[in-house]
Amino acid sequence: MKPYPWPDGARSVVLLTVNFDAESFDLKDTSPERLFGRYSYGRYGVRAGLPRLLDLFARHGVPATFFVPGDDARRHSALVREIAASGHEIAARGLAMENFATLGDKEMEVLRTSQAILADVTGHAPQGFRAPGGELSPRTLGHLTDMGFLYDASFQDADYPYVYALQGGKTLVELPSVFALDDGPIYAARHTHARLRAIWEDEIRAAHAEGILIPITMHLRGDFGSTRAARIAVLDGLLALLKQLGGVRFMTCAQLATHALSLGLPTQPDPYLAHADTLAHAVYRGDLSVKPL
Amino acid sequence: MGQRTTLPEDMRCVVLIGIDFDGPSHEVGRGIAPLGKHSWGNYSARCGVPRHMEMLASHGVPATFFIPGYDAERHPDTIAQIDRNGFEVAAHGYLHEAWELQPDEEEQLLRKTDDILQDIVGKPVLGWRSPSGRKSERTMAVLRSMGYIYDSSDKDYDRPYRLRFGKGAEDFIVELPNNTYSLDDFPFYKFSYTPPSEVLAQWKSEFDAIYGVDRFFVFSLHPRAGWGSGTPSRTHALSEMIKYMKSHDGVRFMDYRGFAQWCLQHGDNLEEVSFA
Repeated sequence: MKPYPWPDGARSVVLLTVNFDAESFDLKDTSPERLFGRYSYGRYGVRAGLPRLLDLFARHGVPATFFVPGDDARRHSALVREIAASGHEIAARGLAMENFATLGDKEMEVLRTSQAILADVTGHAPQGFRAPGGELSPRTLGHLTDMGFLYDASFQDADYPYVYALQGGKTLVELPSVFALDDGPIYAARHTHARLRAIWEDEIRAAHAEGILIPITMHLRGDFGSTRAARIAVLDGLLALLKQLGGVRFMTCAQLATHALSLGLPTQPDPYLAHADTLAHAVYRGDLSVKPL
Repeated sequence: MGQRTTLPEDMRCVVLIGIDFDGPSHEVGRGIAPLGKHSWGNYSARCGVPRHMEMLASHGVPATFFIPGYDAERHPDTIAQIDRNGFEVAAHGYLHEAWELQPDEEEQLLRKTDDILQDIVGKPVLGWRSPSGRKSERTMAVLRSMGYIYDSSDKDYDRPYRLRFGKGAEDFIVELPNNTYSLDDFPFYKFSYTPPSEVLAQWKSEFDAIYGVDRFFVFSLHPRAGWGSGTPSRTHALSEMIKYMKSHDGVRFMDYRGFAQWCLQHGDNLEEVSFA
């Protein structure tokens, strides 16, 4: 297949993305006065995990993009400012891990409020968005363009960035990722960090060989995130590997989205429209699951 | 107890590579918009199918693409390309119906998808694989009435056989049973998140156990991202698997259509069963 035109003749681009998902994630299941015990894994990410992760990125001199739920940004505004001051990008992720597929009329308000909080905390409006849980409604992309966002990073359907042309001639860059390079599903399946290392090494080497995007997704949390000491050591080794491979460029999401937009490549239509009529008549059956024995 | 279908001595192992296209039909059929993390079906036409065709061509091995009619309607150029590249186009439901269907509804969908695929490739479709493996005796009668010669959905045997569903001379179909539990990429990549290198090792040991014994290796694969083999690491694992199988004597890579025709021509080699 034809190689994607990465900037400056790079062979491949790495996006290091971090889903902040601290207390806002635990609060999906409990109330603020019960953020202790099993509901304190989010706080681990902030207290113990974040310093360790920032230190790792600094040692390697690589930029990352942090997707921060608005409520977490308000709770930890000094830390979010520190992340931004370290040269990383801060991007939007709703307010409180809302499911955008079912927010209905509140969607725009949640996006606006989260945008305002991040602008207030960091001094800049966020340019990108990643949907909590990877769930979007048919209107989400349109809302993002209306509000001046540059990119979305929620889809899993391509090896390279592409550009949506939406209603009204507005464009939105899509930076697709892949679950195989997301620590969440792997650690949630209770794999060891050695196994994550094996999976990511397979993925990274093959992606680099073909010169496609290498979109890495990490979580801060102490349960399915990557910030425990032993897991940070795995990331350390993988960052070293990425640098050894040659021709790899680390970028923030906004930098890559800006590059993608500048290429003027053919655009993709609204991803919902081709299916709208069929979905209007489809029975909701939920995600495919396997029956336990 | 031995299994009665026998393949000749020089066929040490027949390898059938089946790729279930599974574009957005899989989600749309379940009422889920193919957005965000549900978008990975779009990967099939965009990246996975071209990558698989390129990899297969580099080894010079045939394969069969089982395609839901809905995906074919939205990606006719990709389907035509699959056919032009010499790969087989076969049927795989309309909206990847992974649920129980009433017989009349099922028949209507089988015929609809058949029409869509034939319109694109301009030749008869000869085989079907059930999306999710649901089927009935009635299904086979409908397939046969449409001129299909094989089905690859049953899980009850290690070897091909003739599955009789009626008393008439033509009331049978060649059954090419598959294994969606351990010779499929889906369980490893959707549920256990097994590293591709371990999946490759698993498939090699499956092949070792089949080679020269049951002699019939049926692969069920997917070109999507997420739980398929469309991405580079997983296509690489497939490529290594094909290399491994090719390094053995007497391995015959065929498309399903070609092997089903062989089965029709060598009726004496095939066990015939009826469960009516």
